[in-house]
Amino acid sequence: MASFAASPVSFSAVSCTVKPNQVSNLRRASLSFSGKSSPSRRIPALRFRVACSAKPETVCKVVDIVRKQLALPDDRDVSGESTFATLGADSLDTVEIVMGLEEEFGISVEEESAQSITTVQDAADLIEKLLEKK
Amino acid sequence: MALRLNAVDFHRPKCPCFALPTTASLRSPSFFMASTLRSASKEVETVKKPFSPQREVHVQVTHSMPPQKIEIFKSMENWAENNLLIHLKPVEKCWQPQDFLPDPSSDAFHDQVTELRERAKEIPDEYFVVLVGDMITEEALPTYQTMLNTLDGVRDETGASPTPWAIWTRAWTAEENRHGDLLNKYLYLSGRVDMRQIEKTIQYLIGSGMDPRTENNPYLGFIYTSFQERATFVSHGNTARLAREHGDIKLAQICGTIASDEKRHETAYTKIVEKLFEIDPNETVISFADMMRKKISMPAHLMYDGRDDNLFDHFSSVAQRLGVYTAKDYADILEHLVGRWKVESLTGLSSDGAKAQDYVCGLPRRIRRLEERALGRAKQAQRVPFSWIYDRDVQL
Repeated sequence: MASFAASPVSFSAVSCTVKPNQVSNLRRASLSFSGKSSPSRRIPALRFRVACSAKPETVCKVVDIVRKQLALPDDRDVSGESTFATLGADSLDTVEIVMGLEEEFGISVEEESAQSITTVQDAADLIEKLLEKK
Repeated sequence: MALRLNAVDFHRPKCPCFALPTTASLRSPSFFMASTLRSASKEVETVKKPFSPQREVHVQVTHSMPPQKIEIFKSMENWAENNLLIHLKPVEKCWQPQDFLPDPSSDAFHDQVTELRERAKEIPDEYFVVLVGDMITEEALPTYQTMLNTLDGVRDETGASPTPWAIWTRAWTAEENRHGDLLNKYLYLSGRVDMRQIEKTIQYLIGSGMDPRTENNPYLGFIYTSFQERATFVSHGNTARLAREHGDIKLAQICGTIASDEKRHETAYTKIVEKLFEIDPNETVISFADMMRKKISMPAHLMYDGRDDNLFDHFSSVAQRLGVYTAKDYADILEHLVGRWKVESLTGLSSDGAKAQDYVCGLPRRIRRLEERALGRAKQAQRVPFSWIYDRDVQL
């Protein structure tokens, strides 16, 4: 299942010349214009992420570790899209989460890869990648 | 100078880290020390054009202390007069830089200088890198006096205000001023370092200033200075020890004397915070947690010499490797303060206060764990040149 993260694809050259009554043809495209389409038909801008995403069990384990680290109440939703920042993790928490993941999965996360993790999904994907390499 | 500081550098131990200041990872002091650049809520990048000094880019918060609390500090003036000013030394009893330097009015001056230079030759470059970084930090004293005078309720309103707080600040500044002077003259005479590059670095640093995120709030401010004074005490103590090991007893005395000033200053600032814990434990413990979340940013973290965009990181790495100021020291200082202020035994706190108490009490253990792990993964570090020593290189 491909995951969609957002980053607008812009057809800026096109959108400059398109008049409102001509937009209908372009509406059928699956990607939206960033900021140029009329508000009433805003589709969230999409970006294809070509990587395959991690198994649900991996995501689950990550969620557990995150919940524990941040002492989140049971009714607080945590999913693949949750970002560490919005869950209330500060930089110390984030490092400890990564340490927890390293321990849980028996992997070693390089600083550079660690720095690119912002969501639970990112973490799960990285874990799977590292597990594959082992 | 109290606020001078080497950053604790986690450089040696490499830890995984993310969402950290661009200048680094746990590899650099920035994780714990230098981060003015990150906090839980405000993730801000350092804006840096190549070959230009960094600027503080986080949103600068001001006057976060509720104005009614200013009264607390006014009402503490008597207390300050009787309990704070006693930690100042009368000028007539103070050491002066000249006490530790060759005497220019003496016939023996040239010999004394020669001796100083001979001893300095035996001291390795890496030590000088750290000593220079310390000296530069001390020389940025104008920034620190300014910082104290940003604090509500205790600032020196006119530059000659007669309040005990203002008297303290001016006298503290005067005592600190000797530190930079002494180190400057020593380094100048030693012949081991590029004074022009050092002077340039100082000019950049004073020009950059610093925002320790104390928000004009004396609760935050005095917690910050307590931490910093202890850190400088530790660090100058270590440079003293190393100087002795390298056979330069006079330099050891210089560093040791500076360290003893810092210790006295630490006593004073921690006393203020102790009193604040007594008067207003909730606010004080919440402030303590807040400053620790901000990781006690280092005063000289914006240092720049016109060449090295990562000068502070590099300097801190060397300081860490030489054992002058390390991640362990950072954790030790925190633990010391938690004990000194009896944070664990505070009672009757609000729910926010209790959360802050938990955070602060649990923090030393977390930091040590991180540090252990980082040590276990330490990689061989690179050598980098330092303009302060004519671009000779030193191992990080």
